[in-house]
Order: sequence, then C-alpha cells, then structure tokens
Amino acid sequence: MSGQQPQTTAKPAVSPWERLSQVAILLFPALLFFLIAFGPLVTPYSPTNFDPPNALRAPGEAYLLGTDEFGRDVFSRIVAGAQPTLLPALISTFIGILLGTITGLAAAYYRGRRDEIIMRVMDVLLSFPALILSMLIIVTLGANMVTLVLAIGFVFWPRSARLIRSAAIELAQHEFIDAARARGESAFHIMFREILPNMWGIIIVDFTLRFASAVLLVASLSYLGIGVSPPTPAWGLLVKEGQPLLQMAPWVVIFPCVVIAIVSVGSVMFGEVIRRRLTLPDRRILS
Amino acid sequence: MVTFVVRRLAFMMLILVSVSFLTFLIVNVLPGDVANTILGDFATPDQVEALRQRLGLNQPVLYRYVEWAAGMVHGDFGISLKTNQPIGPTLWGRLKNSLILASLGLAVAIPIGIGLGVVAAVYKGSFLDRAITTTVVIIFALPEYVIGLALILIFSIRWNLLPASSLVLPGQSVFSNPLTLVLPIAVVALGMLAYFCQVTRASMIATLNSGYVRTAVLKGLHKRSVVVKHALRNAMIPTLAEIGLSFGYSLGGLVVIETVFSYPGIGQFLVQAIQNRDIPALQAAVIVVAAAYSIGNLIADVGSLALNPKLRV
Repeated sequence: MSGQQPQTTAKPAVSPWERLSQVAILLFPALLFFLIAFGPLVTPYSPTNFDPPNALRAPGEAYLLGTDEFGRDVFSRIVAGAQPTLLPALISTFIGILLGTITGLAAAYYRGRRDEIIMRVMDVLLSFPALILSMLIIVTLGANMVTLVLAIGFVFWPRSARLIRSAAIELAQHEFIDAARARGESAFHIMFREILPNMWGIIIVDFTLRFASAVLLVASLSYLGIGVSPPTPAWGLLVKEGQPLLQMAPWVVIFPCVVIAIVSVGSVMFGEVIRRRLTLPDRRILS
Repeated sequence: MVTFVVRRLAFMMLILVSVSFLTFLIVNVLPGDVANTILGDFATPDQVEALRQRLGLNQPVLYRYVEWAAGMVHGDFGISLKTNQPIGPTLWGRLKNSLILASLGLAVAIPIGIGLGVVAAVYKGSFLDRAITTTVVIIFALPEYVIGLALILIFSIRWNLLPASSLVLPGQSVFSNPLTLVLPIAVVALGMLAYFCQVTRASMIATLNSGYVRTAVLKGLHKRSVVVKHALRNAMIPTLAEIGLSFGYSLGGLVVIETVFSYPGIGQFLVQAIQNRDIPALQAAVIVVAAAYSIGNLIADVGSLALNPKLRV
C-alpha cells in the first residue's frame, strides 16, 4: 500500500475485527514453516505415484481437491509442493539480503569512490528485469534447486543493497558514529556493531516483502518450467502441467492457483503488518 | 537540461555495454560449457568439439565478445541454433508484437489507474479508498499467470466470449484477430494500473495536503476544480516517471503473460530459446529486453525532468 500513514500521529484505535485479522496474519508464517518442514510427511496420498483408475476425479470426499490426469491427488501435491516452492524462496531471500546488507553497509560506510563503484555495479545488475536475469543465470548454470536459489538471491542483491545503503547513510550521520570513530573503533565494528543493530527493523521488513516477491519469482519460474522439473510438485509446475486440462478438469489448475494467491497475498500482508508495527516508511513493491 | 540528457544518454550506453558484457560473461565464462549445455549429457566429445568449433568457442573470450558486440551494433544478432536462420528479423517481429501488447496495456491502464488513484486519494480513509487499495495490493501479489488463467476460466471457458489463446500463424499480424488480444491486454493493464493507482494516490495525498491546495480551497474554489486544476497537475509528475519505469518493467513481465496466452512476443521467444537451448537467440533476446528496459528508464528520467521545472536548475 502507498505511503500514507502519518508517522507523527498516535496509533488509531484498532477494531476487534482488525485485531483478529492481524493475529491471523501473524500466525501465517507458522503455517508456512509447518508446510515447509512437514508438508511431504502429512499428505493423505502419494504426491508423485500414478493411480490411473482414479484419474481426473472431481473434488469430493475421497479426493478433497480432485485428482489430475495420472490419478495423483491434487491436495497431496499442493501440500508436498510447499517445500520445493517456499524453501528456495526463503533461502534465496536470506542470501539476497545478506549480500545486500554487507554491500550496502560497506558502500554507506566508505562512501567516495568505493561507494561509487559498488553502486554502479548494482546499477548494471538492476538494468535486467528480475525474472529475466534469474532465468539467464539458471539456464547457464544448469537448472536445479541450488541454481534457482543462487539466481534469485543474486537478483535480490542490488535491490537490497540500495535500500540498506540509503538507510545506513542516514544512520551514519548520527553522533554515536562520530563517537565510535573518535574512540578508534574498526570499520568492521562500526558497520556491524554500531550501524547494523539500528537497522534490524528495516531489514526484517525488507525480508518479509522480499520473501513475498521471491515466492512470486519461484512460482513464475516454475510455471515457465525453469529451475524445477517434474515430478517435483512445485506449485508453478502444477499450474503449467494442468493448464491443458483447464476446460476438462479445472480443479487441477484452480487449486494450485488459489494456494499461490493465498501465500503471496498473505506474505505481502504480513510484511505490511510488520512494517506498521515498526512504523517504518513505505516501500515500493515494484523494484 | 541538454547536458543532463547527454549525460544520462552516455550513462545508458555505458549500462548497455556493461549489460551486454555481463550477459556474454554469464553465458560464456561460468562453469558448464555452452556446447555441453546445448548438446545435453549424452553428447560424445567429438560432437562437443565440433560444436565448439562452429560456435567459435575456442577463441579468446574478449575476442569473441568484441566480434559479437560489433555484429549487434550492425543489426547482426547471429544465427539461431534451432532454425539456422538469422535471429534479427524474427526478434524484431517479436519485439514489435510485445511493444504492441505493452502499449495497448498502457493505454488502458493510464486513465483507469490514475482515475482510481485520484478517487482513492480524494476519499482517503473511506470504504471506497480501502476497497481500491486492497484490490491493488492483491493484484500486485498475484503472479501474472494466475490472473491470466482466472480471466481465461471466466471469459473463455465459462462464458465462451473471448479466445483463450493468442496464437497466430507465422507471418500473420497479431491484429488479424483482434479479439485474441483482449485477454492478454487485460492482464498487462491490470498489473500496470494497480501500480499507477498506488503511485497516483500517494502523490495526490501529498499534494492535497500542501499549502497552495489549502489556499485554493480557502479561496472558495470548487472541490472538483481544486482537485483537477491545482492538485492533479503536480501530482502527475511522479506518476509519469513511474509510467516510464513500468513500461520497461512490463517488457520483462510479459514473459509470463505471453507464455500463458501463447502470444508471439519477445517473452515467448526468450522462453522458447531456453527450451531449445538456443544460446545465441537467448543472448540476443536478453540484450534487447535489457535495452528496452534502460530506454524506458531514460524516458522516465527525461520526462520527469521536462515536467518539473524545479529539477531543471
């Protein structure tokens, strides 16, 4: 949402409904973690074994969300697909933010020519649209889960670095940084012990919103068939494989789409709730 | 102003050279030989060697880069490994189709997005505003293919009103059946208008809170005239910059939309190049998209400068 929350006024009274929805959103990551950790263990049917007699069953009692053309249970495939969809998103977000934080802090601390060089390199990386740069890297390194994670982490790196840099530059103007310099503290100490602890709020919000776009990227890449291959039930792949059945068995496509929608909208909402809790300024989603 | 444009142009050229070099490096220097990638795991060493010869992979990297880049400057994008035809003509045709899709999407998105943004800002905090902003966040969070498939389900399968695929025969114009354009344009436009709406709302709220708008209100002017004549004009500056940016962005986002609808644009070209392991075609497409992206950014920068006298000093 856009930057409209006046930062100076006191928090407005929250209605019970709003409180409830906020709690639901805050519980959301717990659900995702559960699915990532235990998803493949709790499926009612095998997500990958063929069962031709039960092919293309409509959603019902035996198969909650129906079955696909090979008789695989759509619900089981979605539950098992959380791991190959969300885990790469989570790890790549972590990598991207880690790289971005280190680079951004260094650029902000040193300024001058080193800052200039770092940021121009970031500018070059930013002149590729995110999806295309990650596609290029995955295709070149060979399509698998590891390159998928590395590619998305790499794509997030300059985006995160820019954000961290501008926040760190602002912090570096404070007197406690001058004091630390006067005490003769090392560059490492000032960057990671003086500036960084004051930026956790920004980093956490960046992480949540970045995770939401990582889910989108993984879902888009797997829809394009890049980075994951069958029979992995990654959500984007479920949609891609089901698309020819859209007319005959729409449930094969609709339910994975609905789950992708819930998780990505949920992640963005979660990021927004956290941002408001920490009363941080707004950030653009598109970048 | 002129110096700015020249400096910005020079910077863009620098970016493009770096981008082309980076693309070249990613494809050529990273582990995993291109020849191996193209031929797959079951190729014999002889086959790999023959392909390396054909692609000129045995020459020094820098030499190959200069040769490749020089070719591109002359409009020679190399030969496709899949079709053995020059890449250039196909690529331009595809780019044209993508530009058509993006421009039509933009034409739909600009009035609606800005209109909704203004309404949301004027009635800030109301139910209407919340409905608009929530919808915008949801559209943002959805992958393009989810929106595309939802539209296909509703308009093609349920009501049978519009075709689900924009496939055209090779050589035929995408306008040969204009109905096939409706759904892809709708998906492109939805994503863009969500963005414009958000930007317009934010800058409109900032403008409505400023002193001269209050003066206009206190002078007793009509609310409508204050909004349209005084506030909107200033609020448009950041929005127009965002429109330029989003044009480049949408060229990247088109990859997914074109795949959903089998639309013969540059995004689909890119995905096909990947599926065919057609490295020269892939490189060419990436460069063209990155160039379009940079040009979009450039237009956005120059445009907002032209509109905002304050930045012109």
